[in-house]
Amino acid sequence: MTSLVKSRLIKFLLSLIIVSIAVLIIIFNLRENIIYFYGPTELLKNSDKQGQIMRLGGLVSVDSFQNETDSIFYFSITDGDNKIDVKYEGILPNLFAEDKGVVVEGIYMNDGRFIANKVLAKHDENYMPPEVIETLKKSGKWQGE
Amino acid sequence: MSLYIFYISNFLLLLCLTASLMQSSKIINNKILTRPRVIVLAYVQLISILLPFLILIYLFLISDFNFDLVYFNSHSEKPLIYKFSGVWGNHEGSMLLWILILVLFNFLFALSRRISERFKEITVAIQSIMIFGFVAFLFFLSNPFELNQNNFFDGIGLNPILQDPLLAIHPPVLYVGYVGFSLVFSLAIAGLITKKVDQQWASIVKPWVFSAWAFLTAGIALGSFWAYYELGWGGYWFWDPVENASLMPWIAATALIHCVLILQKRNVMQSWTIILAILTFSLSLVGTFLVRSGILNSVHTFASDPGRGLFILLFIFLILVFSFSLFAYNSEKINKISSMGLISRGTGIQVNNWLLITILTIVFLGTMYPLATDLLLNKSLTVGPKYYSTTIAPIIILFLFFMFISPRLGWTDTKLYKLIIQLRYLIITSLTITLIISLYFELFNLTEILIIFFSLLLIISSMTASINFNKQNILVRTNLGQNLAHAGFGILMMAVVSNAVYSEERIYNAKVGDNLQLQKYIFSFEKIEQVDESNYNSLKAYFHMKKDGKLIDIFTPEIRFYSNPPTITSEASILHKFFSDIYLVMNVPQDQQSISIRMHIKPFMTILWLGTLMIIIGGIISASMRIGQFNEK
Repeated sequence: MTSLVKSRLIKFLLSLIIVSIAVLIIIFNLRENIIYFYGPTELLKNSDKQGQIMRLGGLVSVDSFQNETDSIFYFSITDGDNKIDVKYEGILPNLFAEDKGVVVEGIYMNDGRFIANKVLAKHDENYMPPEVIETLKKSGKWQGE
Repeated sequence: MSLYIFYISNFLLLLCLTASLMQSSKIINNKILTRPRVIVLAYVQLISILLPFLILIYLFLISDFNFDLVYFNSHSEKPLIYKFSGVWGNHEGSMLLWILILVLFNFLFALSRRISERFKEITVAIQSIMIFGFVAFLFFLSNPFELNQNNFFDGIGLNPILQDPLLAIHPPVLYVGYVGFSLVFSLAIAGLITKKVDQQWASIVKPWVFSAWAFLTAGIALGSFWAYYELGWGGYWFWDPVENASLMPWIAATALIHCVLILQKRNVMQSWTIILAILTFSLSLVGTFLVRSGILNSVHTFASDPGRGLFILLFIFLILVFSFSLFAYNSEKINKISSMGLISRGTGIQVNNWLLITILTIVFLGTMYPLATDLLLNKSLTVGPKYYSTTIAPIIILFLFFMFISPRLGWTDTKLYKLIIQLRYLIITSLTITLIISLYFELFNLTEILIIFFSLLLIISSMTASINFNKQNILVRTNLGQNLAHAGFGILMMAVVSNAVYSEERIYNAKVGDNLQLQKYIFSFEKIEQVDESNYNSLKAYFHMKKDGKLIDIFTPEIRFYSNPPTITSEASILHKFFSDIYLVMNVPQDQQSISIRMHIKPFMTILWLGTLMIIIGGIISASMRIGQFNEK
């Protein structure tokens, strides 16, 4: 092996090692910060997910909305088959309403309740989050095209 | 009348296709063919795209609902400015604008002087191949001039969240940035074909790459500023896939402009510069079309037509395959072996190039990972913003250090200890200020302290470097653009960190007559009233902000109810002060007696925008300097 080829090989291997370490660190960090999305039925099937931060989406069930005070709310999210009770403290977005699509972010507790710390805001009255459409399609309740 | 317009516009598009085809045939050096001159064809290309664009504006202004595009995206009651900006508030119109800018860059380059005729021909030919591709895409798959058979009385309207003066200019500015890199790409390919990527090549590329970069920076900043006051979440950057899509070409382009400078000065790093030029343009394409394709779900998504997405994917794929094969074939011939000292400015810039590529990888993985799991595993997930901040922050510390030290190093080996002695006052000053800041504000996080320290070093170093006196004690400005942009970046980083640490939020439910408190300010809720505007109705709340009983300002957060199409938006009311913003947003009443009100104190927002502005102006100054002013000491 000539010295030029040798030095190039060493350079190449060194950079390969550095790059793989960097990518590994990045991917490790990425996996730490992933927030999964579930529909109610899916979440009930994955009961080991309790205690993790996640997103839950579906329709706000009819007649489920209650407010304890001006800023503590209770409602349940359904995909037609199953529902999950949600407690949320904060401000509800403008377009929050029963029988409309919603996505919340928070923790699924051991007692089966979902404590939300965010209700994701949407602007369009007819807008349906794609994850919710997917959820409703899975349970066969989707009415759109 | 509409029918004539339909024929004329489509004829013009076909004319542009023909002219571009003739233009691109010049890539073959064939002396037998007598061919019209580059400049004549460039005029034809420009006119045959500019006219359809003006026609489309006219159609929107007169609300001609015989055209599908106008019917679906406009409404007769919309204010004039939004009829105008509605032209690019949809897929087809924004494509036409995109192509117009592509043609404009082609035209301006064809006009430029002091470039060898053959090199110009090849560059314009490459650019024209792209024009041909995109005009064909427009004509066949997204024709803006489709007629409908119905006599619609009125249109459907433009998404109200897009009805904003800033959003009227955000897309054009961003597009000039994205598309500007198409010319840089064409120049890179022309350089590969002619096997001449040298100092002369770098000085031809320099003004184009700097202006594209400055426009891209401005476009991203405008979008961020819009999100800050229109979305009502109190933030300016959310690591949303759409934002990331514009950040990725920016990161690549930032590496690129520095490589072009080294190439111009030292005639090194030819291959890497070409790779970055190809990468930047590919990411710009991804940026435009990933956003538009409907793969990412957001305000920016216009249409989700798989045929269109496929075309763009194919196009990006072809560009990558073509340019990298050309590169593999010719790269040995463009490289010159020149030496740079180990501890030199060139090395510093190279290190920062690698850091930028690392940040790019982080953003890329974070953006693509959810798309990949969704497509491959049918599992939806999001990547939390913490991923970006915790992974990028340590790299930013190193990046700031090299940004500070590199301009202080010479092009050849520099003695490090001499430099440290030379910079001792600078280091001591920054250290003192950092200590004072961290003690006063009780800041004990090491990452944050280090970012502030190195930002300060960078700011002070860049500012003192831009003020130089020559032997006659006359002020000479060297590297004004570079120093301004670098200081701006330091200011931006300081503001970002302090803003993240010291933001405060309060949420209240309020009735008229209530007094709400936020730090030392009292907000008294005076009244709420209904306002009717031409295109929306709104509910407006009035808050008097008082400090020690004295009235300081009146806030009027607002909820707007649009009817075409039916949408509700919250308008934030913001007081910009130099050191902090006070930000109020209200939400629809849950019951009739009270409204929800969210109040933020957002420190250093004005300074954050100021830093960004300095970066943009720095870029413009560097673009307009004809000779490289990368000073040599």
